[in-house]
Amino acid sequence: MNSHSLIIRNGSFLLFGIVFGFLLSRAGATDPALISSLLLLQNLHLLWVIATAVGVGAVLNLSAKFFRWRNLSNRQPISFPHKPFVRALVPGALLFGIGWGLTGVCPGTAPAMLGEGQWFAGIILIGIVVGTWMVGLMHHKRIKRVPKPTHHAKETHS
Amino acid sequence: MTTDFFNSIGNLPLLSADLWPAWVAGGAIGIFAFAQRWLTDQPLGCSAAFGNVCARAGSRLPLFQGDAHSRATDWKIWFLIGIFLGGLFASVSSGTWAAPTHFGALYEALMPQSALGRIAWWLLGGVLIGMGARMAGGCTSGHTINGVAMGSPASIVASILFFSAALGTAQIAQFLLNLKLGAA
Repeated sequence: MNSHSLIIRNGSFLLFGIVFGFLLSRAGATDPALISSLLLLQNLHLLWVIATAVGVGAVLNLSAKFFRWRNLSNRQPISFPHKPFVRALVPGALLFGIGWGLTGVCPGTAPAMLGEGQWFAGIILIGIVVGTWMVGLMHHKRIKRVPKPTHHAKETHS
Repeated sequence: MTTDFFNSIGNLPLLSADLWPAWVAGGAIGIFAFAQRWLTDQPLGCSAAFGNVCARAGSRLPLFQGDAHSRATDWKIWFLIGIFLGGLFASVSSGTWAAPTHFGALYEALMPQSALGRIAWWLLGGVLIGMGARMAGGCTSGHTINGVAMGSPASIVASILFFSAALGTAQIAQFLLNLKLGAA
């Protein structure tokens, strides 16, 4: 990819991010009080947000698959790459849920919260980077124990 | 109630309202996620970008050296920067920028009172979130909004576990603290 198209790509995703961050904020996903009342089952607003997003997304995805809609990037039919089942998925998802439950923040809402001036999200962002790095460290120790000379495990195999 | 709901949309100031009705916000997020897929053929996701951050910060760990975190995928970091700007724009346009955070009954009761204790709390929480997302191969965006809407089995399992663990954590905490909770 040449530098010109790289700038266009990075710039497009900057714009996508602005839209997504704005929507997360308007949805109330950046409001810890709403997460608190969701997890205490007092106010299910955010559950309906997620359910609507998934429902609308599912209808659009199914239509795109059925009618073979082409993407505007390379004019090929839109791809739907499923994330793989990895051994670490179950413990990882549980750890993630606990961290989300304890703080009311997730990796997508943290930058939006920082933008809103909720400064504590910056501390969470640092924690997320450290946690990500720790998985890299665990992965490194594991592949050193079981040497795979040709190629190391894919990203999600940690 | 439903008619009130729909009548209220007609004159809802969508740009300045601080909170949209759930179905408006959820619908917009669903359409947005699909629009990104249609325009770029890239599924929505947030947490992989933190692997790119590790790589760009100089980590030589093999996990961050593969294609998933190469410089060609640094648009993931730009996406997060965009989210930051989106949050800034949203709060400035609704006049809530840097307003004091309401943590809600659960977090007010759970979090340590001291500033240092809270910093440790948030750091530890962030570490759990970062580890969990990388191990599971995605977060609420990549697995739930994106993966469940595709009917991806791994994402459905991951999302069920995300919500069960978060709900379980909150319910156990409520039980242990014996919270007297009003409307948060």
